[in-house]
Amino acid sequence: MRNNQPPVDTGNSPKFQKKFYFSRRKYCSFCKDKIKFIDFKNYKVLENYVLETGKILPARVTGTCSYHQKQLSKAIKRARHMAFLKFIEPKRG
Amino acid sequence: MNRKYEIGFIINPESSEEDVKKIIDSIVDIIKKSNGIVENVDEWGRRKMQFPIQKHNEGFYVFINAEFEGHVFFEIERRLKLTEKVMRFIVLRLDDKLKKANRLTRKWKRIEKLSRKLGENSDEPEMIPDEDLDEDDKEVIDEE
Repeated sequence: MRNNQPPVDTGNSPKFQKKFYFSRRKYCSFCKDKIKFIDFKNYKVLENYVLETGKILPARVTGTCSYHQKQLSKAIKRARHMAFLKFIEPKRG
Repeated sequence: MNRKYEIGFIINPESSEEDVKKIIDSIVDIIKKSNGIVENVDEWGRRKMQFPIQKHNEGFYVFINAEFEGHVFFEIERRLKLTEKVMRFIVLRLDDKLKKANRLTRKWKRIEKLSRKLGENSDEPEMIPDEDLDEDDKEVIDEE
């Protein structure tokens, strides 16, 4: 749980205030939509969790919960096998 | 004991529509002979693929949902491997995943109850007793 409790004034520390006012809380978008399990066939959803090079984004960036991240990584790998998504391409230049 | 499975495969784009029907029928026959149930057959048709497979840029996608016993799984895989016009295939079991998913629904129900209580009684949703919730539960409440 991050930043859930109201801030306590323990001296005026600017760092603390900045964190509280300017950070937007991340959340798992699959939990929000109440998706039970992720299908590899709707690849358009999976594209949001993949970089342009084809790498899977980590959960700490996207904010997905561990339950859904496990399913997501499997679904992406299956989608790659069926040629819905690209495999990882090395950067050029 | 019958279990739910999903079969998907990509057929060579040069093959005619009759060939596609033959391949689908051959698999449906295997399932029906072993007292299985075919729920639905999805033909996506010709689609562009993200990368070439066997030097083809397009493929004919077919997905089948079915219920059958465990030993039929290997027969279907063998048949798909032997047919040359099938470029890629995948056979998945869906049963166990749905069981796990039911645990989630229980969790969500609990969260809904809690959030309703908070909405009625107090104006400050931040003062939840921490002992009742797991870490994942808290995050869900935060969004609402």
